[in-house]
Amino acid sequence: MAAADSPTPGGFLLNRSEWALLAAIMVAVVLTAVVDANHSYWFQPLASLRDIARSTAMLGIFALGAAVVIIAGGIDLSAGSMIALSTTVCAATMLALAPTEMVGFKPVGGAVVAAGCLASLLAGFLVGTLHTWLITAVRLPPFIATLATLVGLRSLARALATSTTAALLPTKNSQINVYDPAFKFVRDNVWIPVAVFGLLAFVTWLLLTRTVLGRHVHALGGNEQAARLAGIRTDNVKWFAYCYGAMTAALAGLFYVANESVAAPAIQARGHELNAIAAAVVGGCSLAGGVGTVPGTVLGTVFLRVVIDAVSKVIKTEAEIYEGLIVGVVVVLAVTFSQVGQFAKGGRRIFPGVLGLCAIPVLALLVGSVVAMTAGPRVGIAAGLAALAMLAAVRFWEGRPKALARPV
Amino acid sequence: MTAAPAGSHAADLAIAMRSITKRFPGVVALDGVSLDVRRGELHAICGENGAGKSTLMKILSGVYRPDAGALEIHGRPAQFSDTRDAERTGVAIIHQELNLVEDLSVAANVFLGRERRTALGLVDDRAMEAETARLLEMLECRVAPRTRAGSLRVGDQQLVEIAKALSLNASILVMDEPTSALTEAESARLERTISRLRAHGTTILYISHKMDEVFRLADRITVLRDGRHVRTVDRGATTPKEVTCWMVGREIAGHLFHEPRPRGDTLLQIRGLTLPWPEHPRGYRLADVSLDLHAGEIVGVAGLMGAGRTELLETIFGVSPPSWTGVIQLAGRPVRFTHPREACDAGIAMVTEDRKRLGLFPDLDVAGNISLCSLREALRGGLLSRSREEALVAGPLRDTGVKTPSPHASIMGLSGGNQQKCIIGRWLLTEPRILLLDDPTRGIDVGAKAELYQLIDRLCRQGMAVLLTSSELPELLTLSDRILVLAEGRLTAEFTREEATEHRILEAATGS
Repeated sequence: MAAADSPTPGGFLLNRSEWALLAAIMVAVVLTAVVDANHSYWFQPLASLRDIARSTAMLGIFALGAAVVIIAGGIDLSAGSMIALSTTVCAATMLALAPTEMVGFKPVGGAVVAAGCLASLLAGFLVGTLHTWLITAVRLPPFIATLATLVGLRSLARALATSTTAALLPTKNSQINVYDPAFKFVRDNVWIPVAVFGLLAFVTWLLLTRTVLGRHVHALGGNEQAARLAGIRTDNVKWFAYCYGAMTAALAGLFYVANESVAAPAIQARGHELNAIAAAVVGGCSLAGGVGTVPGTVLGTVFLRVVIDAVSKVIKTEAEIYEGLIVGVVVVLAVTFSQVGQFAKGGRRIFPGVLGLCAIPVLALLVGSVVAMTAGPRVGIAAGLAALAMLAAVRFWEGRPKALARPV
Repeated sequence: MTAAPAGSHAADLAIAMRSITKRFPGVVALDGVSLDVRRGELHAICGENGAGKSTLMKILSGVYRPDAGALEIHGRPAQFSDTRDAERTGVAIIHQELNLVEDLSVAANVFLGRERRTALGLVDDRAMEAETARLLEMLECRVAPRTRAGSLRVGDQQLVEIAKALSLNASILVMDEPTSALTEAESARLERTISRLRAHGTTILYISHKMDEVFRLADRITVLRDGRHVRTVDRGATTPKEVTCWMVGREIAGHLFHEPRPRGDTLLQIRGLTLPWPEHPRGYRLADVSLDLHAGEIVGVAGLMGAGRTELLETIFGVSPPSWTGVIQLAGRPVRFTHPREACDAGIAMVTEDRKRLGLFPDLDVAGNISLCSLREALRGGLLSRSREEALVAGPLRDTGVKTPSPHASIMGLSGGNQQKCIIGRWLLTEPRILLLDDPTRGIDVGAKAELYQLIDRLCRQGMAVLLTSSELPELLTLSDRILVLAEGRLTAEFTREEATEHRILEAATGS
């Protein structure tokens, strides 16, 4: 059994794969500093750091929630839509309490801001409760339950934005602008989301490793039936996990409002739930449940954001087009590397049979086309051919005959 | 120790195994086992649970690959990478566990993965159903090929498994405890099928620990113990007693437990317990079950697979939905638990049947697995304290004699016996008055079994009431003060320790 599978794999502070992730982050940063034609990591370290810190904190806040749900053996696909609902609930609450100030771009006052934020967090709690009810009482698989809310909550948020503005403003609008200085202050002070992220990471770490509830989360994810038979009220543990997932997304939503000065439910955080799940998985959480750590999730988030930032530095124009591709590749590579041990032991092949043969040109085509689009057709063809040759070599090396040990 | 007599020609051998070794994390399942099976013979493999019988058969049928050693089938070296490979070579296995897809029809199950096709390439249900009907008729099984597999009785499901193996026209057939879920009548039916197969020249490897069956059917008998080959003998050259002796290898100190245990007050009283089973033709899982359990007493519950042993314990423990009727009284107070938590709080503990599926937490370490039900005692200032947890689990680790390199070792690295001791330790920390043990020594080697017996006996002498089920009658006979027998959800007999014999229990369990 690989060391990564054991509960306390050797290593100081972090386990082995987490140290590897930390090293990968360093390598990515150094590579970017060198390859980037503007060398912006070198010449504007603070500005670069600020960008990465902000994006990491924004993603990390709800990636922690996603990690808790995943460790508990579930999945929450709805985080992106929950964020959209959170931004809308916050803005709509403020609009309802202080319509004239909101219209006149004036400060709405601390009490109203607090009410908006609390309303968002409450919405998170309600959504988490809904998820748990759908999963435990209606017995929907978590994937289905949160797929329904992924689609449904964003629609609900859009309806809320439209109907609130129609009722309270002269013209109805699909988004609600937020100008309060409190939100501007948060936007201009990047340490606030970073501090919130840090605090939340610490709280989540404490919760998962040092409380009875956290232990029960691990037990539930590791073996749900056994957990119930051991007298754990598994439904209550799930309730906690899904509320934690939804409420961290709601919290992240508040930073989206601050950052973009608007609640725009049609587009905000669309697809970001997958980034959060990816960050947790890259950080070592197993979708089978029971496995995962807070340091791993934090590092996974940092790694994801650093790589995305690196590519945007290297590809100057329209880098955001490639964000999804990067996340996909990083997830596949991270999970593949965590299984390298199994392949190396010879029990498994990465390109087995006809399927393996067909996978090789697919991968080479992917590499070639991406390189062609970013660096020109000639380089692309060369890269594609090189990939083809390398993968074919791997397949050939794997396919060499292996004899069983025979006694003399 | 080779089995084949000197001069026996390699071509006469259906199977030749040479120094087969197979290791799993924490155990050596097979340690250099060599075995020859002659063409056309019925060769019985005997051994206790955990002796390596099933592992050996899984290697023969391509489920596992050996770590070392060689295998020859009909004189040719064979290296199977999967079961399909083995089937092509003519080896088919009837597994002990049922491997049916419950939502498919009987015919679809028989031909799963080898579906017959029409000229157009579509699935030819008619041909498969006709062939299945022929096979089932040969097995004297009156089940329509279109029946949903999940709706069959366990005995019929087992026959479908057998039909599946027969449909391969295998020259070598491996039967892994085929009668463990069958009634007497069904077993007799199976034996007739076996003699028909033998008339066609099929070589059969027959795994069983039922001595009467083995001595009725086998030409030769091989005994395995703790993953090693003990010996292979002709049936006529030995006696059931001798084979049992080789299987066990050492005397289990059964007499230790025969000192009478002082019996205390009635802790658990069950009257007329009935557990409905709406989606099943029988209509109930348990019907009108009554029993008493006293402090300081071990009551054993015997029964075939599907007789309702597990359901009985689960109903007491609040696992099953509370749709049952009847009365369960705990120390004189009627109870109706809806969640295991309530049963725990009332002083009941349950060690579940299937350790891997229902007991272990593979991602928690040894200490985490033991402390799980009593984590409150490991708190310091509201947070879990590592040192407190270690202190907490030190007691059960010592009392149950768990051998682990450290309390923070991986639970999956321990042997089955040590894992089971950890789970018992988990429940001892909750200081239960009643301990429900569901087949506690399944898949555990003989030595660890004896230690568990001593542990259970000691707990009982300290005043705990134990309700024990087991798939192994000797275990029940060794431990129990009284033995209750379940057959198809009903209590059919109750024996005191003096009255109970394997024969009488089996009679009551099969309803014959």
